[in-house]
Amino acid sequence: MSADRSGPKRGSKPLAMAGGPPPPRPAPTPAEVRESLIPGVKYVIPVASGKGGVGKSTVSANIALALAADGARVGIMDGDVYGPSIPLILGVKDKPTPGPNGLLPVERYGIKVISMSFFLPPGEALIWRGPMLSKTIDQFLGGVEWGELDYLIVDLPPGTGDIQLSLCQKIPLTGAVIVSTPQDAALRVAERAVFMFQKLKCPILGIVENMSHFLCPSCGNREEIFGSGGCRKTGERLGIAFLGEIPLDTQIRIDSDRGRPTVIDAPESPQALAFRQIAENLVARIESQAKETARSGETRITF
Amino acid sequence: MVDSPGNRISPVPVEVGRANLHDVRVRWDDRHESLFPARDLRLLCPCAVCVSEDTGERILVPTQVPVGVQPLRIEAVGRYAIQVFWSDGHSSGIYSFDYLMENCPCPLCRRPVSPGNS
Ligand SMILES: Nc1ncnc2c1ncn2[C@@H]1O[C@H](COP(=O)(O)OP(=O)(O)O)[C@@H](O)[C@H]1O
Ligand SMILES: [Mg+2]
Ligand SMILES: [Zn+2]
Ligand SMILES: [Zn+2]
Repeated sequence: MSADRSGPKRGSKPLAMAGGPPPPRPAPTPAEVRESLIPGVKYVIPVASGKGGVGKSTVSANIALALAADGARVGIMDGDVYGPSIPLILGVKDKPTPGPNGLLPVERYGIKVISMSFFLPPGEALIWRGPMLSKTIDQFLGGVEWGELDYLIVDLPPGTGDIQLSLCQKIPLTGAVIVSTPQDAALRVAERAVFMFQKLKCPILGIVENMSHFLCPSCGNREEIFGSGGCRKTGERLGIAFLGEIPLDTQIRIDSDRGRPTVIDAPESPQALAFRQIAENLVARIESQAKETARSGETRITF
Repeated sequence: MVDSPGNRISPVPVEVGRANLHDVRVRWDDRHESLFPARDLRLLCPCAVCVSEDTGERILVPTQVPVGVQPLRIEAVGRYAIQVFWSDGHSSGIYSFDYLMENCPCPLCRRPVSPGNS
């Protein structure tokens, strides 16, 4: 199932896009991008945050793994052009291989992975702008063979600028997850992400509070360092479901740093259970959202 | 609008279809109907080629748009917009539902808002 490890040797150019210019295939049209995702992928869930460093990628990866642990077919799309970190968090060393209809994602811990880092030359992401970047994004969205998936988790770049908007405009979104820390400043920028999705008519499935509180490793006492509960309150004010909270915990960082996320490394630990609870709440929200959409109906195009 | 952006969603079309051979009719879920004459809709194209991204000014010169321009095909974009493929080869415009709503040409929507006129 996994990519061929005995494949291209290091030093040889394994794939057109790895460390080099984007593949020579013409960039897919917006319609092709949508088509390529629609038939096989049931739910597309973008994960967004107002700013970087709040743990969006950590939460995305652990939620994806928790969904897969419950038997779902899951893919994760690392769309963070500024700092694609999903391959590091998941310990992915392989590169995707070309298939008959597009790139085949790398498989890791039972989920399919595609990262912007497979497409962008290292260190150059930030200078990519405008048409060049948007062309790469189209390759990235339309040139991948995801196959049959229940959930595709999309780790968006932090913030709510043009790149985020154009990424979201090109994907048929089911509903978004917002990740924030409980500090006021983080919450204020998280609100902008809420407004962005509202503009896109993409429902918000809920908000996750990361680095919510600190569990003392020796005494187990809970300390509210940033004033826990901020996300729940903001969610209530904005009419958004609260999906759960993840403690600030060194082990979570260590697990991510060595490419074995907490849900994989210690699935029964309280930290992993927190992620798994969020995944469970998320599934419930997706299902009720799907019913809602079915009731209100999609726009029919009869032209 | 401001109190509950998470759940509150402004009107969405039930159907985007034909008003006649070439003109576009949008039926909204609040029962409003918008009728866009084909060429007017082409002239409303919000894409970066037709509208300056810096100034928001319309760059598209109406005289350069064929009189008989018509949509060949319309596709949904996500859950928030449509993309129109025009007979003059243009197709880069993503018309968001909100944009269509704001530009509804019907007399009700075009009526200038004045005090006491609700
Ligand atoms: N709950 C947590 N407890 C401790 N460290 C965390 C937690 N969540 C994330 N981190 C660490 O914080 C840093 C930023 O997280 P990351 O997921 O990369 O954020 P983002 O994707 O929002 O930029 C990483 O070093 C990560 O391991
Ligand atoms: Mg990240
Ligand atoms: Zn245009
Ligand atoms: Zn009207």
